[in-house]
Amino acid sequence: MARNTYGQDERLETPFEFRHLLRAGVYLKRYRFKMIVAFVLSAVAAATGLLSPVITQKALDEVIPAGDMKRLFVLAGMLLGVFVVSVTFSTIRSRIMTKVGQDIIFDIRSDLFRHLQELSFQYYDDRPHGKILIRVVNYVNSVSDMLSNGIINVILEVLNMIFIVIFMLATDLKLSLVVLAGVPILMAFMMFIKKHQRQAWQQVSNKSSNLNAYLQENIVGARVTQIFTREEENAKIFDGLSKECQETWLEATKYSNLIWPGIDNVSVCVRAALYMVALLWLGPESVSIGVVVAISSYAARFWQPIMNLGNLFNTFINNIAYLERIFETLDEPVLVKDKEGATKLPPVRGDVSFEDVSFSYEEGKEVLSHVSFHVKAGESVALVGPTGAGKSTIVNLLSRFYNVGGGKICIDGTDISGVTLHSLRSQMGIMMQDSFIFSGTIGENIRYGRLDATQEEIEAAAKTVCADAFIRKMEDGYQTEVKERGSLLSQGQKQLISFARTLLSDPRILILDEATSSIDVQTEQALQQGIDAMLKGRTSFIIAHRLSTIRNCDRIFYIDRGGITESGTHEELMAKKGDYYHLYTAQKEEVQ
Amino acid sequence: MKEEKQWNEAAASSGCLRWLFANLSGFRALYAFGIILTIVYNGMQLTVPIFSQKIVDLFLSGEESAAANLRDHRDWLLWLLAGMVGFTFLRTFIVYHACMIFERVSQGMLYRIRNRLFRKILNQDMGFYDRFRTGDLMTRLTGDLDAVRHMVAWVVRTVVECIALLLSATVYFIYLDPLMAFSILALSPLIFFVTLAFKRQAAPMHQQLREKMSDLNTAAQENISGNRVVKAFAREEYEINRFQERNEDYSSARKETALLWLKYFPVIEMCANALPVILMVVGGFFLMHGRLTVGEYVAYSGLLWTVANPMRNLGNIINEFQRFHSAAQKVMELDAAQPSIVTAPSSGEKDDLRGRVEFRNVSFAYGDHEVLHRINLTIEAGQTVAIMGETGSGKTSLIQLIPRFYDPQEGEVFVDGKNVKDWELKKLRGHIGMATQDVLLFSDSIDGNIAYGDSKMPESQVEYFAESAAAAEFIERMPEKYGTIVGERGVGLSGGQKQRISLARALAIRPGILILDDTTSAVDLETEKHIQQSLAHLDFPCTKIIIAQRISSTKDADQIFVLENGQIAEQGTHAELLAKKGYYYQVAMLQNGGEQIG
Repeated sequence: MARNTYGQDERLETPFEFRHLLRAGVYLKRYRFKMIVAFVLSAVAAATGLLSPVITQKALDEVIPAGDMKRLFVLAGMLLGVFVVSVTFSTIRSRIMTKVGQDIIFDIRSDLFRHLQELSFQYYDDRPHGKILIRVVNYVNSVSDMLSNGIINVILEVLNMIFIVIFMLATDLKLSLVVLAGVPILMAFMMFIKKHQRQAWQQVSNKSSNLNAYLQENIVGARVTQIFTREEENAKIFDGLSKECQETWLEATKYSNLIWPGIDNVSVCVRAALYMVALLWLGPESVSIGVVVAISSYAARFWQPIMNLGNLFNTFINNIAYLERIFETLDEPVLVKDKEGATKLPPVRGDVSFEDVSFSYEEGKEVLSHVSFHVKAGESVALVGPTGAGKSTIVNLLSRFYNVGGGKICIDGTDISGVTLHSLRSQMGIMMQDSFIFSGTIGENIRYGRLDATQEEIEAAAKTVCADAFIRKMEDGYQTEVKERGSLLSQGQKQLISFARTLLSDPRILILDEATSSIDVQTEQALQQGIDAMLKGRTSFIIAHRLSTIRNCDRIFYIDRGGITESGTHEELMAKKGDYYHLYTAQKEEVQ
Repeated sequence: MKEEKQWNEAAASSGCLRWLFANLSGFRALYAFGIILTIVYNGMQLTVPIFSQKIVDLFLSGEESAAANLRDHRDWLLWLLAGMVGFTFLRTFIVYHACMIFERVSQGMLYRIRNRLFRKILNQDMGFYDRFRTGDLMTRLTGDLDAVRHMVAWVVRTVVECIALLLSATVYFIYLDPLMAFSILALSPLIFFVTLAFKRQAAPMHQQLREKMSDLNTAAQENISGNRVVKAFAREEYEINRFQERNEDYSSARKETALLWLKYFPVIEMCANALPVILMVVGGFFLMHGRLTVGEYVAYSGLLWTVANPMRNLGNIINEFQRFHSAAQKVMELDAAQPSIVTAPSSGEKDDLRGRVEFRNVSFAYGDHEVLHRINLTIEAGQTVAIMGETGSGKTSLIQLIPRFYDPQEGEVFVDGKNVKDWELKKLRGHIGMATQDVLLFSDSIDGNIAYGDSKMPESQVEYFAESAAAAEFIERMPEKYGTIVGERGVGLSGGQKQRISLARALAIRPGILILDDTTSAVDLETEKHIQQSLAHLDFPCTKIIIAQRISSTKDADQIFVLENGQIAEQGTHAELLAKKGYYYQVAMLQNGGEQIG
């Protein structure tokens, strides 16, 4: 799949189906008991509510004409009693359902977040982050009411409708059919609306997702925009996206707002038809006035639940567009995951072997082809070679960020594809080019490497990597808050902190991917002792361009053209006068 | 004290409404029309039942008269039916258009505010970005703005609807019988006080809810951005637990807010339900004494809902209003934020820039943390200058003062002899090409990224600059070449590749001053050589300021500055500095693998 950008709608191929609602049933299941209680409470409240017209009728027909004030008070008391019951029940129902509704979105959001943690880099690399974010936060919020109260209300309204229809049919079949004739007309109308409305709301979710993506990127990239004085142009692009949001919204509401008037008109036409049929066609000879009055009051009551259902239908259609996106994310396959029956990788010594490993990010374009090597526990290996030759790929495969395309990778003789990811990665320390710093204190950022580390251990780690000095110089030392974009820290300082973080995690296998590129040579020299201490007893893979970093490694692999073209110690490779020799001498010449 | 707080709150909410009103300019007439339509259709809602009532009166009550009417006045029935259908059609027609007007106005306003805020954000200084988190800014531009939209589209309409119904019904009630009307409305003061109490309690909850929403957004957004680190440390469980806390907080804040209303709900609902009871007792009494006719009693009972409905809507209205209120404050805060770095008015600067840079006695601090101390330096137009120094010595801070990302606390920075504060910001920055350490590419095509500074740049130019930055080769190897989409922040590319695209992007604007902040740290030597060759032979005049760690990048510079603790420690050419045997010499030696440099 091609990468997605803010300018591109995410296509959704699956047709609209109520199976999305069925699937949402999984989330409801947990609360089914509470929901049933709530449903019963509502039904009882509704049923008691039915008593009130009876009481009122009695007052009007008997008690008031008789002038019996005492009995009137008794009836009023009964009416009040009915209301107390119905209000109490509906309050309890609302309390239950409020909690259930919130618990459901909590569950969905948890699952979504949990699933996102399992997805590979690729997923995050393939789309703007704003589009992922909007699903976790905004979309989930939208569906809560639909899933909790919405479903109960639908059942209630449908029951209500069925009761009324039964009463109506019992009163007069012919006239009931006139009333029911409105239903197919309404159905046809709703079908028509639904088709457009659904697409329209999908567009709304698409466009707001695009807007979110662009917004997020622009906030993060504001500095770049400013240096290139692109503010105006970006604002124009944003205007465009914003306009699309506005237009799709108006288009969608154009349909949504039609539902209510549509039902209203059908219902009034039905009432008119009823009168015409009853009074003009059948005539008073065949239908009694009492029956007509009764049917017309049933008709009015019959359309009330339909109107409510229409409203619910509306919110369902709007929200299903969001629900689809949520499920789509939940359905995103996890490419790298624990195999069935995956075992825990026992504490390793760090013996690494690649056996005939091939890999391609895209089909047909092999980045690594039949690579085999063996690194003994405790050995340090430098990976050098031109950019894009596959150095990072080798370490990414070793950390199992990707699964190998062919061959296998073993640690201490165990194929890593059969072990749990957590047991594998928690024994590795991986430092990447992009030293991401979380918002929080510097101390917390270092502690990320080992959550139960003491303050002393944190400081010791910082000292080893020469970060202690500059941290202490800061106002609040280790308690200094790093802002989200880490602007307080220089790139080199960020790398030192992430170095400390990695060191603290005390890995058996260490991977440094351009980890020191932004650290100045002087600091790196001082850091070298720290690195040496770090490398000691650990298997390590180091990707670097600076030869001063590389020279000290036990072995050097020169990576090019999808494989290892040269390997050996610095001295051996120098003697070989091959690619490495050229690289090294080129750098030396530069300095001379 | 408490009183004062309340007063402030009142002032704040009137401030929100004023701000809202100001933002409706241009839509006000349409909005007023929508409000009038709302009043009209609510009035019609009261009149339409008259038709069916008439039909019942004429044709469906009293066997005798109904039969007679049906025989003699069939046309009346037809007219009444036509009127009933026609009026409903007209009413729903108006309802529909009124709703659409509310949508249109609210969307129009939303569009305007959103775009204005976006511009605001883009033009903020770096201090602003240090203060506001991405997740929080996103919340303001999405969730908070939606609450504002909802206020205009729904809350106002509902309030108008309630008031219109209530008022017209009240007038009618009083017209029928003042005493009866009074009995029905007797509960209103109670409702009023309950509402007030609820509003007061709801306000802080909505503020809290809004904060929790922002926290949730921030947590999710950071996790998404940092997904690589999370995986590298196998910290998924930890992240899930941390997110779960926020999720829990948010969820319980929402529950709390909803449950608060449910405390008041029974009172309000009972009041609404008390209406038919009151009618039955008082109306019944009046009926018995002949003060009220049955017809009037039925009229009262038929219109009770116009009083009950507004009561039932109160909770929603107030909740939504408080949501609007706390959201609007956040939006207004953003709206009012002024960047401290503002452009000087255009003073007819020439379109080209020679590229002379001078620092006079410049000191700069982030807060209390001083990073540059009394820097003096001069870079002549066209020179190539290298800046070296330890991590955290102030190199990046120094160069950020040139395009005025920050202003120094002391001293001045001059470009072409003119204080940067007197430059029109757009012109100044438009002449500066910069490739930062933290390479930030956009999720766009490579083409679009290189042409970021000038989106109309022809393809051939893009390729030319890619070639200059030694990026052409790997781009050509990609499946879609220049059309290849790069992920957000340039993910999917190696560090060296990102750096080269960022360099091409900086070169592509043909800047008068080119600033490279450690731009070649992740490229291999051969590539770096290529880049240096191109930089030396640019086809436009350019002052180059290069921060670098490698001697290979600095040795040909006209001047080299070595920074130490925010001060210039050494200065001179490669040869001069080697002779000095100071920091520079040591670095050179280290890079030579510890061997003496001859």
